[in-house]
Amino acid sequence: MNGSLKSNYGIWEKLTKIDRRLIYLFLFLVVLIPLIYPFRLAPRAMTPVLKLFNHIDTIPKDKCLVISVDYTPDTEPELHPMTIALLRHAFSRKIKVGILCISLLGLGLAQDAISIVTNEFNSKALTRNDSVIYGRDYVFWGWQTPVLVPILGMGENISKVFPVDYYGNKTDTLEIMKTIKNYNDVGILVSISGSAIPFYYITYAQTQFGVRIGVGSTAVQAADFYPYINSGQVTGMMSGMKGAAEYEQLVEERCKIYARRKATDAMAAQTAAHLWIMITIIIGNIGYFILRRRK
Amino acid sequence: MNISTNPWIWVSAILTLGIFSFLYKENPFYRVCEHLFVGIANGYSITFVWHRVLLPTLINPVAKGERLWLVPVAIVGALYFTRFIPKISWLVRIPIAIVMGYGAGASIPRAIEASIIEQLKATVITRSTFESIYTGLWAIVIFVGVIATISYFFFSRERKGVLRPLSYLGIIFIMLGFGASFGYTVMARISLLIGRLTFLLRDWLGIIK
Repeated sequence: MNGSLKSNYGIWEKLTKIDRRLIYLFLFLVVLIPLIYPFRLAPRAMTPVLKLFNHIDTIPKDKCLVISVDYTPDTEPELHPMTIALLRHAFSRKIKVGILCISLLGLGLAQDAISIVTNEFNSKALTRNDSVIYGRDYVFWGWQTPVLVPILGMGENISKVFPVDYYGNKTDTLEIMKTIKNYNDVGILVSISGSAIPFYYITYAQTQFGVRIGVGSTAVQAADFYPYINSGQVTGMMSGMKGAAEYEQLVEERCKIYARRKATDAMAAQTAAHLWIMITIIIGNIGYFILRRRK
Repeated sequence: MNISTNPWIWVSAILTLGIFSFLYKENPFYRVCEHLFVGIANGYSITFVWHRVLLPTLINPVAKGERLWLVPVAIVGALYFTRFIPKISWLVRIPIAIVMGYGAGASIPRAIEASIIEQLKATVITRSTFESIYTGLWAIVIFVGVIATISYFFFSRERKGVLRPLSYLGIIFIMLGFGASFGYTVMARISLLIGRLTFLLRDWLGIIK
C-alpha cells in the first residue's frame, strides 16, 4: 500500500516539475495541428458584439461609420480581422466610412484592410454604383498626433484636423467630406486598439460630444471595458479573436458576404489551446494539493 | 507545400523564428531580432514624423514665410532637447509644464465625468432597472459587487462586524475579476501565437491555404 502511494506521489511530483519547454512544445503542437487540419466552429455572437453589429446595421443614411485603427503589428492577429469585418459590413450596407489612425504603426495595417475589402467588393461589382470608390464611399484621413488633437478636433471640424488625407489629397475637396463635417455626422466611432486609446475616445469624444463609441480590443484589455458597456458609454465591443470571429459570423449570416474569415479559421486552434491550458492547470493544481498533503 | 520565393517573407520568417528561440533560452539570435525590432520601429516613427508632420506642417510653411506663429511654439518644443546639455537642462521644465498643465486641464474634469460620475450612475438601481428580471438581477449583482469590493479596500477600521463578511465577499468578486482577466490574457497570447504560426505555415511554407 505504502509502495503504491509512494509511486503515485512520484508521478505527481514529476508532473508538477515538467520542463516548461516541454509544455511549450505541446502547446505548439496543439495549436499547429488544428491549423493544418482545420475544423470550423460557428461562434455565437455575445451581447456586446451583437449590440455593435445592430447599431452599425441601423446607422442612418446621413451618418457615417468612423474606424480608428489604433493597433500595431504585434496585435494584428486579434485586431486586423475586426477592421476587415467592419469594412465588409459597412460597404455591404452602403454606409460611408472614415478611417483614421492615432497609432502611427496602424497606417500600414489600415491600408492593408482597405485594400483587401475594396478589392473583394470591386472585383464583383458590375456597375460604378456597385463599386466601392475612394472619396465617395470611404476616406482614409491618415494619422494625426498627439492623441487629444484629433479626438477633440474632430468634434469641431474633421477637415481642419486632417487637411490632407493619407494619399495627399486635400480632404475638403472629397465628395464624402460634404456630408462628414464633425462628430454630429458620425453614427458610431469604433476604436480598434491594443492600447488605452479607446479610453481617450470614451473620456473625450463620448463625454464631451456624446458621440457613440464602439470598441475593438485585445482580449487582455476586454475586462477593463465591460463597466463602460454597462454604463452605456460604450455601445458595443468586440474582444479579442473571439469577438472578431463573432462579428465575422454576423457579417456572413446577415450581410451574405462570403469571404475569408481569418478569426473564425483560427478559433479551432484557439479552442484546442484553451483545452490544453485547462488540462495543465488542473493537473498542476491536483499535484500541488496531493504533494501538500504528503508534507 | 509551396515555399515562398519572396525574400521579405524569408526575412520575416527568420526573424519570427529568432524571437521564438527565446522559448528555449536567451541567446544571441533572439537579441539580434529584438534590437532590430526596436531600431526599425523607432527609425520608422522618426522618419514618418519628419516627412509627414514636421516638413509639411512646420518647416515648409515657415520657409515660405507662412504660419510664422509656429516658430516660437517650435522653439518651446525644441527645449526638450536641452535635456542633453547639463548646464541649461532646467529649460526642459518649460515644455513639460505646458504639456502637463494642458493635459491636466483637459483631462481632469472629463475623466471625473467619464470614469467616476457615469460609473456611479450605472451602479444606481432604479425602478426602470427591473423592466426585465435579467437586467434587474445583474444590477443587484453589480451593486453588491461594487459595495463589497470597495469595503475590501477600506483600511481605516478593523475588519469586524458587517465589514468582515463584506470584505470577504469583496475578495470573491476581485478573484472573479482576476480570473476573467487571466482567461482573456490566455486567449490574447494564444491569438498572437496563432497569428505567427499561420504566417509561417501559409505565407512562408505554403502548407495551409
